[in-house]
Amino acid sequence: MIQRVLVLSAAGAALGMMQGAALAAPPDWSKVPAKTITVFYPGVSPLEWVTTGTEHGGARGMKKGETCASCHDGELDDMGKKMVTGQKIEPNPQKGKAPSIPVQVQAANDGANLYLRFSWKQPPGAGGAKMDPDNPVKLAFMLEDNKVELANLGGCWSACHADSRTMPNAKDDKRTKYVKGGSLASGKFYDLVQWRAKGKPVDGHVAEQRVMEGGKALVSAEGRNDGGTWTVVFTRKLAGGDGDVALVPGKTYNFGFAIHDDHAAGRYHHVSLGYTLGIDAKADITAAKQ
Amino acid sequence: MPSVEAGPNGKKKGALGGLWALLRKPSARYSLATLLAAGFAIGIVFWGGFNTVVEETNRLEFCISCHEMRDNVYKEYTKTIHWSNRTGVRALCSDCHVPRDWVHKMARKVQATNELYGKVMGTISTPEKFEARRLVLARSEWKRMKASDSRECRNCHSFDGMNVEAQKQRARKQHELALRDKMTCIDCHKGIAHTKPKGMTEEDEEG
Repeated sequence: MIQRVLVLSAAGAALGMMQGAALAAPPDWSKVPAKTITVFYPGVSPLEWVTTGTEHGGARGMKKGETCASCHDGELDDMGKKMVTGQKIEPNPQKGKAPSIPVQVQAANDGANLYLRFSWKQPPGAGGAKMDPDNPVKLAFMLEDNKVELANLGGCWSACHADSRTMPNAKDDKRTKYVKGGSLASGKFYDLVQWRAKGKPVDGHVAEQRVMEGGKALVSAEGRNDGGTWTVVFTRKLAGGDGDVALVPGKTYNFGFAIHDDHAAGRYHHVSLGYTLGIDAKADITAAKQ
Repeated sequence: MPSVEAGPNGKKKGALGGLWALLRKPSARYSLATLLAAGFAIGIVFWGGFNTVVEETNRLEFCISCHEMRDNVYKEYTKTIHWSNRTGVRALCSDCHVPRDWVHKMARKVQATNELYGKVMGTISTPEKFEARRLVLARSEWKRMKASDSRECRNCHSFDGMNVEAQKQRARKQHELALRDKMTCIDCHKGIAHTKPKGMTEEDEEG
């Protein structure tokens, strides 16, 4: 009898210790509402372009606190067409590449983990050179805790700069995404998580520079292609360590994501505008407790 | 022909003085009605002639009769929506750059005589000279439009007549902001009929 109690106690203690990671179980996605968010081909539109009124008329709206989505979320495919064909702000047109991709986004939490599910139809490939030969597809999302300037209006754009690699004016091949004046200490950073068709997922961050490691929050990132429809599910602890945005129920966070479709690399991705993710809070996407 | 005669102080009057004396002298030959009728008729001819000449200077053909306009701003304008559009309504140079009402039109025409000086001096006689001056010229026109609350734009466009529901999302949003903040057309619509000048600053953009 005593032996049985000891075994049960040990089993209980072990279960308790494993709480979070090992017990994480995605919700029944058929019961979680989906929001369609279109990612589009952004051409060469770094933060410097977006915030310059002589180039981008919407800079005036941004100065007044308008989000990118408030003007553009209904015309993303048209915008993508103009840029992918080189009609506007793209010196290197991407013939055959999809102008935009509509993505179903679902989110939920269970008090310990955030679950994010992305689902989209694989668009036809352009058949060009494979910039990333290993990965036909990658999907990354970024979270931000309302400290990075303009992240509340433009999502990931505050990390996208004219001198980043693959941009026409890039001078340093190692310069990737960064936040001006960003640092982990000040909290001015993006939490960056990426799923890759091949290879390990990434749990990093973007502050003074992009760091593709060090995050402690990501539990798993799994993706599959069922008959041309990709589905990627992330499980991420609400809490986290350095470089992770600690998610608190009742709060909203700035959120954006990107798909590197058709072996794309660097800036040749499809991106979402900036949205909000709420943990048990009203937002563009709400991760409600299941 | 007025004769030269001695004045009261003994000095001889000139031809101009003689003409003035003739004009001041009451007519003994023509009735007042005749004089009035003749004056009226001549007035109509002069007025009509004057306005015809003024309106002639408002025609597109007049504007592009100088290569400075024809080779630069006109070429750019023919690629814009004010030249060619779905409904076939065309705004000519003068529709945007010359006030319609007489007082402001005359003031603008008098001011425009400065341009004759520029023409003679060749201020913008080559594409290079034009590009070098483009920002100065554009700033001058933006300032004029801003000062008149975009009066010439409003000859055709108005917030009242605008159906924002029929506009694209971003146009709708911008117009809502413009109405809220009491902005004027040229605050945003710079460079819609001509290329934006190089060197244009954010201050220029924000008007």
